[in-house]
Amino acid sequence: MSFFSYVAEALSVLGANRVRSILTVLGLIIGVTAVIAIQILGAGMSGAVSGILGQLSDRTFFVVPNQRQADFTRAAIKLDDLKRLRFGVPNVVDAVPGGATVRDARFGHVHRKLGIGAQADERFATSTPIRWGRKIDIDDIAEARHVCVISGEAADKLQITDNPVGGALRVGDRRYTIVGVLAKSKAGILPSLSNLEVSIPYTTYENEYARGRAIIAMRVLLDDTSKLAQTESDTLVWLAKLKHGRAEYQTFDRKSFSQAVDGIFAGVTLVVGLIGAVSLLVAGIGILNIMLVSVAERTREIGLRKAIGATRLQVLLQFFIEALVLSAFGCLVGLVLGVGIGAAVNQIAIVQLSGVVAPIPWLRSIAIATGFATLVTLAFGTYPAWRAATLDPIEALRYE
Amino acid sequence: MNDRAAIDVAGVTKTYDLGEVKVEALRGVTFTIRSGEYVAIMGPSGSGKSTLMNLLGCLDRPTEGTYRLDGDDVSTLSDDRLAAIRLKKLGFIFQGFNLLARTSALKNVALPLFYAGVPARQRNAAAAEQLREVGLGDRMDHKPSELSGGQQQRVAIARALVNDPAVLLADEPTGNLDSQTSEEIMALFGHLNEGGRTIIMVTHDEEVAAHARRVIRVRDGRIVDDQATVGR
Repeated sequence: MSFFSYVAEALSVLGANRVRSILTVLGLIIGVTAVIAIQILGAGMSGAVSGILGQLSDRTFFVVPNQRQADFTRAAIKLDDLKRLRFGVPNVVDAVPGGATVRDARFGHVHRKLGIGAQADERFATSTPIRWGRKIDIDDIAEARHVCVISGEAADKLQITDNPVGGALRVGDRRYTIVGVLAKSKAGILPSLSNLEVSIPYTTYENEYARGRAIIAMRVLLDDTSKLAQTESDTLVWLAKLKHGRAEYQTFDRKSFSQAVDGIFAGVTLVVGLIGAVSLLVAGIGILNIMLVSVAERTREIGLRKAIGATRLQVLLQFFIEALVLSAFGCLVGLVLGVGIGAAVNQIAIVQLSGVVAPIPWLRSIAIATGFATLVTLAFGTYPAWRAATLDPIEALRYE
Repeated sequence: MNDRAAIDVAGVTKTYDLGEVKVEALRGVTFTIRSGEYVAIMGPSGSGKSTLMNLLGCLDRPTEGTYRLDGDDVSTLSDDRLAAIRLKKLGFIFQGFNLLARTSALKNVALPLFYAGVPARQRNAAAAEQLREVGLGDRMDHKPSELSGGQQQRVAIARALVNDPAVLLADEPTGNLDSQTSEEIMALFGHLNEGGRTIIMVTHDEEVAAHARRVIRVRDGRIVDDQATVGR
C-alpha cells in the first residue's frame, strides 16, 4: 500500500470534517505566515541597509568623539592637527573634516532649504554615479573654490530638468558654481541620506560655515584596506596622544556599520524564532487535541480495520499521515500567505524607502514551512497515532 | 463439505485476570469444524460464546490449548502475525455492519485488499465483482447512509468475502435487521455455503440458528451440545 493511498484516505477524512480541519490548522497558518512574512521583511530590510552601506567607500572610516564622555567639546580638534594625522599614522593617506548645515538655497527662482556638507575629493565620495558634470576634485579643495555638486534628489527639489552645469546655486549671499549633478539613487528615499544634498569642498565649508569652530567629526582615507582595523586603532592612539588622554573617540567603518545592523537583525531573528516556537507549540497542541478526538471518535472504525487485518504499523501510519496532511496543509497555506504578505509589505515599505529590491528568500521560507510541518507532526501527531495503533480490536469494536 | 479441518480447537481455555479475581470465560473447549461446514454457535450471554468467537476470529489468544486455523497453529502468534492471519484467512460480519460511513460501498469492500497491498485498480475490480455477487452491482457508489440495513449487511458480506477467506465469521449478522431482511441475508448465507464457504455464526436466535447445518451450544465456558440441525 502506497503512501499516496494513505494521503488520499487522510484527505477524504479531513475533507469530511472541513470546518474542524481548517479551524485546527488556523494556529499553524497564523504562526507560519507570521514567521515567514517577518523573515522576508527582515531580509528586505537587511538588503536595503547593506545596499545603502554598499555606497560607502571601503577606503574610508569615520572618527567621532565618544558620546559617553562628560565634556564633549574637549574632543574638538583643529584643521591643522587633522592635516598632521597622515604623517602621524601609517597607512593614512588623508583626513578631512566632516560637517553639514541646512541653508536656504536658490536656483533660478526656486528656493529650497537644503543640506550643505563638506565634501572631500572623489576618493572619499560615495559610489553614486554622476549624471551631469563631475565630482569635487583636489583642485577645488586646494583652492577652496565656490563650487558645488548637487544630489539627484536635491536637483528634483530645485526643479532642475536640464543640465545646470556652469549655472549658479545661491546659498545666502554666496554663489556656488554647479560643477556636477549626481544620478538619483534608484527609487528610494534612504540612499539619499548617504549623499549630501549639496556638496562643497571641505576647505570652502571651513571658510564659510565652520570658521572659528572646532572640528568634531572627521573622515580618514587609507591606502591599504586590509589594514583597516590597525589603522583605526593607530588613529585612536594618535588622537589620544594629541589630546593628552583628555578626550575619547570612536571609529566607524562600513564593516562596523553593517555589524551593528546585523546585530539588530540577529535580535529580530531571535525574537521571530521565539514567536515561531510559541506558535508552533500552540498549533501543535491544537493538532494533538483534534487527533485525539479523531481517534476516540473512530474507535470502532479502528477496531474494524484491525479486525479485517490492518497491522499496528498500518493503523499508526494512517493517523500519522492524517496529522501530517493536516500540518502540511497549514504550513503550505502559511507559506503562500507569508510570502504574499511579506513580499507585499516589502514592496510597499522597504523598496519604496530604499530602492533596493532584496530577492525573496524562497529557500529559507520553504525550509521554515517544511520544518514546522515536520516538527509539529513528529511532536504532536505521533502520540494519537500510537494510541490508535495499540487499541485492542475487541475493545474497540465494542466501543459505543 | 470435505474432510479438511478448517478449524481445530483442542483443550482451549481462556482466563481473564482481573487482579483480585480470575474469570474463566472458557473452561476447556474442543471441537473441529471441517471446511465447507455451516455452524451456529449459541449460548446465553455470559456463556463464553463471545470469547470463543474472538478466539476463532484470531482477535485474542487462548490461555491454554491449541487452535489450528486452516492447518496453521495460531494459538501463540504475535499481534501482527494474527493481523496477517485475519487478513488472509478470515472474513468478519458484524451485527452493526461496521461500514466506514463516509466511504462508498465499493471502497468499503475494497478495504481488506488495501491492507493486503493490492493496487487500487485491481482492488476496485475485485470489490466490484464481489458487490455484484451479493446483488449490489448497481449500488457501488452509494454511501452506507444511502443504503438500507439489508443492503449495508450485504456490503459487509462482500467485504468479508473479497479476500477469499477460509472461514466466514458472523456475529449476530441479523441482529439489527427486520425478519424479512434477515431471511434474505440467511438465504445469501445458505447460497454461499452451498458454494463451499465455511461459515461460523454466533446467534441467540433459534430461528436464525436453524439455517445452519450444525449448532454448537455453549454454557458456562463449556460446550454442552453439538449436533446437526434437524429438518435440513
